[in-house]
Parts: sequence; structure tokens; C-alpha cells
Amino acid sequence: MTVDKDNFKQQEMSYTPSMTRRESLKWLGILAASAALPSLGACSDVVSSKDANLTAGHWPKLDLAPISAKGYGKDPNMVIPPESPWPLTLSQSQLQQVAVVADIILPGKDGNPAASKIKVPDVVNEWISAPYSAQQRDRITFLTLLAWLDDEAKMRFKKDFISCSSVQRLQIIDDIAYQHEKVSEAFAPPTSAFSRFRSFVLAAYFCSPTGIKELGYQGNVPIAGDYPGPTDEAMAHLDDVLDKLGLSEFAFTMPSTD
Amino acid sequence: MSDKVHQVVVVGSGAGGAMAAYELTKAGIPVLMLEAGRDYDPKTETPMFNTNYQAPLMGTSNVDKDFGFYDATVDGGWTVPDEPYTTGEGSEFLWWRARMLGGRTNHWGRYSLRFSEHDFKGKSRDGLGADWPFEYDDIAPWYDKTESLIGVCGANMDLDDMPKSSPGVLQPPPKPRVPELLVAAAAKKLGIALAPMHRAVLTQPLDDRQKCFYATSCGRGCSIGAAFQTTTSLIPMAKATGLLEVVTDAMVSQVNTDADGKVTGVTYVNKKTSKSNTVNAKIVILAASACESARIMLNSKSDKHPNGVANSSGQVGRNIMDSTGTGLGATIPLLKNRPRYNEDGHTANHLFVPWWGHEQQAKGELDFPRGYHFEIGSGFREPGAYVSGNFQGYGDQLKDEVKSNYGAGVYFALRGEMLPNDNCYMEIDEEVKDKWGIPVAKFHWKWSEHEINQVAHGLKTAKEILTTMGAEVGELPAPEDAILKGGQIIHEVGATRMGKSPKDSVCNQWGQTWDCDNLFVMDGGVFASNPHKNCTLTILTLAMRNANHLAGQIQQGVY
Repeated sequence: MTVDKDNFKQQEMSYTPSMTRRESLKWLGILAASAALPSLGACSDVVSSKDANLTAGHWPKLDLAPISAKGYGKDPNMVIPPESPWPLTLSQSQLQQVAVVADIILPGKDGNPAASKIKVPDVVNEWISAPYSAQQRDRITFLTLLAWLDDEAKMRFKKDFISCSSVQRLQIIDDIAYQHEKVSEAFAPPTSAFSRFRSFVLAAYFCSPTGIKELGYQGNVPIAGDYPGPTDEAMAHLDDVLDKLGLSEFAFTMPSTD
Repeated sequence: MSDKVHQVVVVGSGAGGAMAAYELTKAGIPVLMLEAGRDYDPKTETPMFNTNYQAPLMGTSNVDKDFGFYDATVDGGWTVPDEPYTTGEGSEFLWWRARMLGGRTNHWGRYSLRFSEHDFKGKSRDGLGADWPFEYDDIAPWYDKTESLIGVCGANMDLDDMPKSSPGVLQPPPKPRVPELLVAAAAKKLGIALAPMHRAVLTQPLDDRQKCFYATSCGRGCSIGAAFQTTTSLIPMAKATGLLEVVTDAMVSQVNTDADGKVTGVTYVNKKTSKSNTVNAKIVILAASACESARIMLNSKSDKHPNGVANSSGQVGRNIMDSTGTGLGATIPLLKNRPRYNEDGHTANHLFVPWWGHEQQAKGELDFPRGYHFEIGSGFREPGAYVSGNFQGYGDQLKDEVKSNYGAGVYFALRGEMLPNDNCYMEIDEEVKDKWGIPVAKFHWKWSEHEINQVAHGLKTAKEILTTMGAEVGELPAPEDAILKGGQIIHEVGATRMGKSPKDSVCNQWGQTWDCDNLFVMDGGVFASNPHKNCTLTILTLAMRNANHLAGQIQQGVY
């Protein structure tokens, strides 16, 4: 990535995430009221999470200033890509929160690093600060998720998400980390947002040099002679697959070339 | 404006224009080439070996770089700044343009499949569209010459959809990859044969171009010249004759004619100064891309050419055909966690699925008249900004899931022949001008049932192959929803088609307009039909044949 990999830079805040608590609470009240109405079919399948009755149903509406930076344009230098194509917009505390959530998703094991150790938060920062439509949609999704996590933590534990203990954080994450038919209506928006964030963290991890190695991508190296094709091991695996599918007799043979 | 009269002016530096310039200068004829985009040098500008991780946004595509950060396209894509196009009500059409020396040859897929006699004579067979004004045998030697010149790897097959190259013409194809071999076996069980893809990528050195070193996606362009693009081959070769002059940032607005209707040259806007320039020429060759050439012609009105130059047939801008496109993919469970190796290869299909249905169509067993092929998306590709998978939970077991899925997906991309129809055409939008003051193209589009039925058949076939490979494939989408938009495959051709009669075609078989004997079209606009095979090889071949014919005429003093 083009962002600083060595440390999270202290960013000047270019805007203040300005969800008003009042509005959020008002919204919460409305949702709580509708949840109480038994005639609402949408809520009839609600599975009671341990804290759902107390806290469920809020989803902050952030009043985000639009990103006004310009993109890199239609003729960027591709050989030496732009180092810092647009101003980064996450605050230090948001970066820390991203790091905490990203490390819950990928904590690192077997000598491989956690997401924050390979600077996934910086990748998030560059992504959500970009002036393009897909990234702008993710910006709303990710920032709203971060705000929701704080709201939820305050309601459950009277403190910010990152001030919570690991156990407390996981109590919240457990309620939004699984997408299935039984996800309660109240947790649906943060669950959907977490899912997108999780996919992004995975992509950012596996796109990195560390992730590429872990994945086993072996390309992007020049080959002097002919393309060697599959290894013996890979061909043995293919033969096994063909056998299992009953396709061995249909195996492809290269035509002879003139 | 100078009084100089150029022998030949070529508009455009892509496949058609560069080949025409190469062939003419080789014959000793001086050429002035006008290119609407900037100068471009793949040797210094191609991001060889750069990783997605080094690019902004992990290299993902956006409105600035529609095919990803590293795509070779400069100043273009689905939109060009300050150069809009419009669409008619209810029409969706996408128009890819590249404003750069070499045009779209810098990023094209390099798939290079010959059209066959079957392809050239569709109308004689099923009464639809138009026949080409020559036989396959007329053009076969020119396919050989073109393939030898640009360098095409592949293999001759005993398949009715794949005419053979002469011995020694094709370079050896690379070995197939594991998922391609699995597709080949599954398809064969269903009676469908796969073949090595023909690609304009060198597997052996040619001239001063190096052979492929099997890394770096060809869409970025190729600094070593292995993947064919005019900027590392035809243009430098033509320049080496000393007879080619290239002017970049020269956006041609119109073809000029005299009182008798004869072409006298062109007018272009110098994009750097915004000034208009007129150049005189004995012969003008338009090769600005099918729709850009048609736009220039429609914008060239005069008393003798009230509907645009060389448009007495009214066919300029009509008969636009793209390839049909759709796709279907699935994860193949038995390919999960398969042994790793380097599957970059020449970075595109080593094997593909040629059209197999000539016989069924002849028997009337299919409810669509023209064929398609499948390109295969698979392999251990360089990771980018998205991972596929339906993930749950958190923690490092997610990594195992990503690793397990890696390289286990197989995707079939359909590319099919569409027929021309009265609803697919372009005209000039009288209301809108671009930054240079040139009225813009307005597109109209509607697929016919031929294309919809073909796409339905393709989806069903792809599902059968995937299922035979052990994949679970859900319900298929409706073909009307699954078919891609007009223009989206970037094979739009036919806007100035060739034919046997000035009544229903714009050019004769030499790309010479019926109305003006010194105006030629040498891009995809001349296509009489659009076989499912990617169009560039045939654009190059026709430009070579027709520029060679023109050179002969010039040498005989015809002009």
C-alpha cells in the first residue's frame, strides 16, 4: 500500500464524526417501541441475545462530511504509484478501534502476525478516505460500525469499545459476527456491516506480502524458459480429482504442434 | 495549416491504423498518423511486477481506472474526460476508448482466433445479417502473414470452428493449468472439446521482442514486447522506415471534401493548444475505432455528402454489433486446498472452449442462429482487494477458509456472436458537443431474442460443466438479466460495414468507401458480421490485406 506501514500516524482530524447522541437515542426509542409491538411480523423470529432486550435496535446515523479530495485521475504514474493519493481521514482513536476489531478478526497464529501488525488499519484508512463510490459506501458502513460498537459498549459496559476488556469486546462481537437466519432483527445492520468489514480485513491481509506468502501465491516471478505448468504433485491431485468425478477417461491431451 | 499534400493520412494508431501505416511505409509510401491521445511508451510506462499491494486501493477498479489501477488504458475507459457520449431513451451502451498511442491494443486480451468460411457466410446459411464480400480462402494467407508478424501462440485443432494456420505460423502454446484440465475433462464428457487458446503473446522471441516470461498481467501492457501491442511493434517498425510521421494529441473532427465530393484531407484539434488544423492528403484512412470513425464521417457533412461523408447508403453508424457477454462461476469443492504452484502462465486462458454447435445449428436443434465460446476464469491469481467466501465468525480459522478457497473457483465467461438489428446503432447527438466542439455520438441499443436465447443456452451449458466438475450451482439468472450491456465486451464493430453493394454497405472489400475512392476505413467498422471470436486479429488482418492492396494501387499511379 502507499500508506505508511511503520506506524499509525497521528492524523489531524479533517472532520468530526458528529452523530448526535440525542438523535441516536431518539431512534433507539422508536425502534424499541416498535419491537414491543407483537403484530410486527419482522420481529417475530427475534432470538433473544443475552443483552438484546436491553440494548438492541440502535444503528447510528452519522452526519459525515463528504470526501472532497480528488482521485488519482485517468493517467496516474503506474510504475511508481502515488504515495499518498488523498488525505487520510481516520482519527487516531478510530485507527486504534479499527486495529482492535481487525485483530479480533485476525489475531495471528503460528508465527503469523495479527492484522494490525501488518498495518491493515492503514489500508482501511486509505480505502475509506478515497473519493470513489464503492469506497464511500464502505466508509459509511465502517464508520457507522465503529460508532455502533462504541454506543453498544457504552450501553452495556459504560465505556468506549476499546476501553472494554477482551471478554467484554467479544460479548459484543459475538452478537454480530454470524450471519444466519436467526440473527435478530435488532443486530442485522451491525452484523451486515461487520461482515463487509471482515471481508475487507481478509482481503487487506492476504494482499500483503505476508498474506500472499501464507496463501501460497507463487507467481509474479520471471521464468527464463517455457512455462513449466503444473508440478507432479498438482497433476497427481488432478488425477485423483478426475478419478473421484469419474472423468479419468476424458482427460485432456495436448494436440501435437506443427 | 500548410499547403503540403500528404500521400496518406491515417487516423488512429491502434490495430487498424498501425497495421495500415506499417504496410504502407514498408512499401515506401509516406504516412502521416494522427492519434487523438497522448504519446505512450510501454518500455518505460508498464508497471511490470508491481503488486496490487503497492497500488492505491489494492489495485481495485474505479471510475478513474475502470479495469484496475494497473490497466494500460490512459485517459480513457468507459468515460473520457471532456468527451462524453449519450444514449437514446431506454438504451444502455458502454463505449470504451483509450486516448493514447497504440489505442486499445495496449491493454487488449490478445485472444486471436480466426474467423472461418462458416463465419463469413452466415447470411447465406441462415438469412440473417450480412455476408462478407470475400471468401475465407481470400483472406487465409493474410491471417498467416498477420499471425507471423504479430506472433500468435496456439495450436491447430481438428475443430470446425477453428481454421488452421499454415505449418510453422503458430508459436507453441503454454501448458494448460490444473483447473483448465479439469474443465476439459468435464466438457469432453458432455461432448465439448477444449483447445489451446490462440493468443498474440510470444512464447518464442520475434524480431527485437522478447518471449513471455510468464509474469505480469498483459492488460498492463508489456515492456518486453512479448504481448503484442502496436507501440512495441508496428509503430516503431514503421517509424524505422523513416516514412512515418506521428502526431499525438490530434483529435480529428472531420474529413474534408471538395466541391466534387472528393476527399481532400482532415481537420483535427490540437488538444494541447485547442487549435484547429487542417491537413491535406491524397488518401485518408480512418482507423479511429468503429464508432469514432463513424462519428467523424457523420460529422463530415457537405453538399455532396449531406448525411455525412460516404454515407449515401445511410449505413454509417448502423449495424453496430458487440459480442454478447455473460458469465457463471462456482467453487469446485474438489479443487479446495489443491497443491500450490505458479499458475500465472501467460496470464490468460491457456485452454478455452471453442464453439461446438455448428452441427446442432445445421440440424435446427438450437433456438439461436450463431455461436459462442467460453473463456475460463480460474487459477491461483495474485490476491487483490476482494476475497470470495461466505465467512462467519472471527479468528484465525477464517484464514484457513480463505486458503482453502484460493484457486478453487472456476468461472465461464461467454462471448457470443450477435446479429445486427435496427435498434442497435449510433447517430450524432445534435445537442451535445465535447470539449473540442465536436458533436458527440449517441447510441441506441436493444438485444434481440437471438442473443437472449444464446445466453440462456450458454448459462445452461456452463452449469452442466460446473455440475460435472462436482460444483453446486444454484438457480440460473434470467438471460435478460444476465446478458451484459451493449459495448461492455468492447468488441463493437460494423458501423461502416463492407459489402458487395453500395446500397447496403459503406465500403467495398478493400475498406474503400463506395462514395469516395480516396477514403478508406481500416478498423472494426468494416465488419459485415461479428463472429464470437475476438475482433482484433481480423482487424489487423484486413488492415494488412487492404493497405497492401492500396499500396499496390498507389504504386500503379491510381491516386
